[in-house]
Amino acid sequence: MNKLIQIILVLLISTNIFSQLSLSIPETNTIANLNVADTRNWSAFSNPSNISYLKNSGFGFQYENRFLLNELSTKSIFANLPTTLVDMALSASYFGYNQYNEILLGIGFARNFSEKFSLGVQFNYSATYFGPEIKYLGVLFPQIGLNLKLSPKFNLGFSTFNPFQQNISSNFSIKRLASVFSLGCEYFFADNFVFRSQIDKEISSNYKFGVGFDYTMLNFLTVKLGAYTYGYLVSCLGLSTNFGSFSFSYNADFHPILGLVSIASVRYDLQKK
Amino acid sequence: MIVSVLVLVFISVKAQDNTSTIEQIIADIFEQYSEDTDEEIDFESFYDELKTVAENPIDLNNATRENFEKLVFLSDMQIENILSYAYSFGTINTIYELQLINGLDMTDIRRILPFVYIGAKNIEYPKIYWSDIKRYGRNEILYRLDRGIELRKGFKENITESEITKPKYLGSAFYNSLKYHFNLKERIMFGLTMEKDAGEAFLNQAKKGYDFYSMYGQINNVGRFKTIVVGDFRANFGMGLVIRQGLSMGKSSYVLNVIPRNSGLKKYSSTDEYNFFRGTGCTISFGKVNATAFYSNRMIDADTLNNSFTSIYKTGLHRTESELLKKGTVNKQVLGTNLIYTLSNFQIGLTLVHTLLNINLKHEIYPYNLYYFSGNKQTNLGLNYRLRMHKFNVFGETALNQDLAKATINGVMYSPVSQVSLVALYRYYAPDYNSLYANSFSESSSISNEKGFYIGAEILPFKKWKISVYSDSYKFTWPKFGVDGPSIGQDYLLQLDYATRRDLNMYWRIRYEQKEKNYLNENQALNEIVSTTKASIRYQLVYTYGNFSFKNLMEYNVVQNYSTAMTYGFTALQDISYRFRKIPLKIDLRYQFFDAQAYENRFYTYEKDLLYAFSIPMIYRTGSRMYLNIKYDLTRNMSLWFKYAQTIYSDDKNIIGSGNDEIIGNRKNDLRFMFRYEF
Repeated sequence: MNKLIQIILVLLISTNIFSQLSLSIPETNTIANLNVADTRNWSAFSNPSNISYLKNSGFGFQYENRFLLNELSTKSIFANLPTTLVDMALSASYFGYNQYNEILLGIGFARNFSEKFSLGVQFNYSATYFGPEIKYLGVLFPQIGLNLKLSPKFNLGFSTFNPFQQNISSNFSIKRLASVFSLGCEYFFADNFVFRSQIDKEISSNYKFGVGFDYTMLNFLTVKLGAYTYGYLVSCLGLSTNFGSFSFSYNADFHPILGLVSIASVRYDLQKK
Repeated sequence: MIVSVLVLVFISVKAQDNTSTIEQIIADIFEQYSEDTDEEIDFESFYDELKTVAENPIDLNNATRENFEKLVFLSDMQIENILSYAYSFGTINTIYELQLINGLDMTDIRRILPFVYIGAKNIEYPKIYWSDIKRYGRNEILYRLDRGIELRKGFKENITESEITKPKYLGSAFYNSLKYHFNLKERIMFGLTMEKDAGEAFLNQAKKGYDFYSMYGQINNVGRFKTIVVGDFRANFGMGLVIRQGLSMGKSSYVLNVIPRNSGLKKYSSTDEYNFFRGTGCTISFGKVNATAFYSNRMIDADTLNNSFTSIYKTGLHRTESELLKKGTVNKQVLGTNLIYTLSNFQIGLTLVHTLLNINLKHEIYPYNLYYFSGNKQTNLGLNYRLRMHKFNVFGETALNQDLAKATINGVMYSPVSQVSLVALYRYYAPDYNSLYANSFSESSSISNEKGFYIGAEILPFKKWKISVYSDSYKFTWPKFGVDGPSIGQDYLLQLDYATRRDLNMYWRIRYEQKEKNYLNENQALNEIVSTTKASIRYQLVYTYGNFSFKNLMEYNVVQNYSTAMTYGFTALQDISYRFRKIPLKIDLRYQFFDAQAYENRFYTYEKDLLYAFSIPMIYRTGSRMYLNIKYDLTRNMSLWFKYAQTIYSDDKNIIGSGNDEIIGNRKNDLRFMFRYEF
């Protein structure tokens, strides 16, 4: 019972703070979730244009835990396949527990135009469990992304998730889906030192502004540091490493009120181009 | 090697789409202009003029100042420099010589290219034969249909417990226009315009056909006759203190462009139902003297009562019974003349316009409108001049009305070195000066009750960089609407333009404005006058690659009112355009997010539209807007445009618009379609 109350309380507070933005979209493995211009990493439901920067086909799994509560965790799987015509990716995520859960499925297509820019579109389907009688209701919506390589060292990313502000409605209620506009940039101070900055605006929530750095200390080890503001300041720390075809990433967001958010992911590259 | 690179650059620039260039110019000039004026801007005529120039480019070797003035993005100093270069070196042999002309940077040259060519020196206007009309004449038919998907309140029946009342709007929700234009190398032009606004009746018991009809004919350069116009036309003379029905140059990021252009009589082919004359006029050339005379006689809209009216109804909307009652109720006759004497470095002009209304205009008198025009006769006389001395260009106009109230505007442009151009402009418009057709450099929409000093500078400090800056301080010496006493204001702009390559350019724009307005304090009998400040910063990036082009824009503003807390606005947008290689199809997509807390934080962002249908919509509240714009050439002669736009508001209000235009809900969808046939 205590646990249930605890979950409800945290849900209420975090719903208020995150205003549903973070509940339905899994975080990415880029530090501070600054993924929109990130040409080196791609995760489920991040900017679809960045699919085209993945050189190898592969698949992976991500586990995101909020505030050390299993019930607030999001599990995601993703896979991608580069082809000569268009690069493709599949994403799926599950958030919640038996009584309440959200499922997000997506298929994305992207194309890189001579390394000058890349365009991507992802078709997502979001389904929410409305109880034993109605069960699942869902809606299809697009996600559009663009990444402009303005110079070899600098690129600008844009992404919009659910641009038409579609919602899931039952006879009794409306579940509002997040509609997010993101704009960000990536700058390579050096090949092993990357800066990223991003502004996100969920249409009914606060602005989110973040900055982050990736520093590849050793060939197999990258340290990540970042922070974002969302009405409060959240500092973020992460590590990523790779062994052969495997790459691992772990990010920790230190929320000033609610505590730790952990994002761990593993990816396996099927082939090296 | 250098020549090869230059040739490549120029070829690619020349291949640019004229439409894109014109659209960008309109966006640059009018986004800010829209912000500063409450009046509807007639982009249609403006676009038409530039498009006509693109179709009939200016010959650099035979062009006059008048020809270059059609290119509104060129400053007066730049025009002088081009003319001076052509005069000094005899003939311009190649388009690349434009780089040698002082004050023209690569951005200017790129803009000029679609509108000019190099021709042989001293070509005279050839005679026109009947066979030329068939052989060289270009006909254009345009059909446009618009429809808002959500029905506005005015289209719905009003159902109450006791009765069901008919919809307020008498017609359908479709907007519809049909136009025909004929153009023979800008020598002979005629056309017809028909229009029905959404809500106006088209076919019912009382109405058969369109609500608005307009016809024009214009002949240029036939013998001594420079221009002959018949039907609907516009007149523009001097600096606009007496008459300027076309667009006047106001404050914009083209900081040096303060002198109005395109003087003379011009055909009228737009759908604005107020701002034009209906009659005839001509300009005759006697060597150095050009003489113009025109006469107009037309009915205008007004709410008449007891053989008088309180104001002119300018919207041209006749959707409801009450709006229809205002239609064509007042007769307006206008007689005007202009004389211009031109020497190589000097020009002087005299303009006289007399207006006669068949009934009196009588305002309900308040302090702010005490000096507004009333009565049924108005006469204005203006003297304008322009003088070029070395690196100075001095210009101005002084005008009087029938009460001998004065308006004057005088300025000087100076270019000490080729990288720096400066302009200073002083204006004084007496509170009792009024002209029904005046349109000149001003802060407010009327040429009255204002004095101010404007200085602007354009600096090319380094290669690829341009700095544009202006400062304008002004004073309204008499109360004006919304301000119960004399008031002052300041307006500053700083813009940095950076064009790294042919395919990438960006700018940063900072603007600061301080104005005064009423503050209603319930504890005091009189309104206080307090200042309001608005600061905004904008970043825009345009990037093209192959057939793709992208535009990113971000703007943030803050408004500080005396009475309320500081409010902010933020908008960001992403444009993607693609022109297909193998099929004649062009697609433009936009997604825009906006968050403007208050009306004062509103944004104006240019968006692509159908041909001639420019829109710079005003956006505020919180939400997103997207559009899809498609142009498809069915054949060489036939083209189709289609636009779908959607605005979704995400704040708590479930209403869009007000009055009869009110929409219940948070979504507004609009469809537009246009068909063009050229033969």
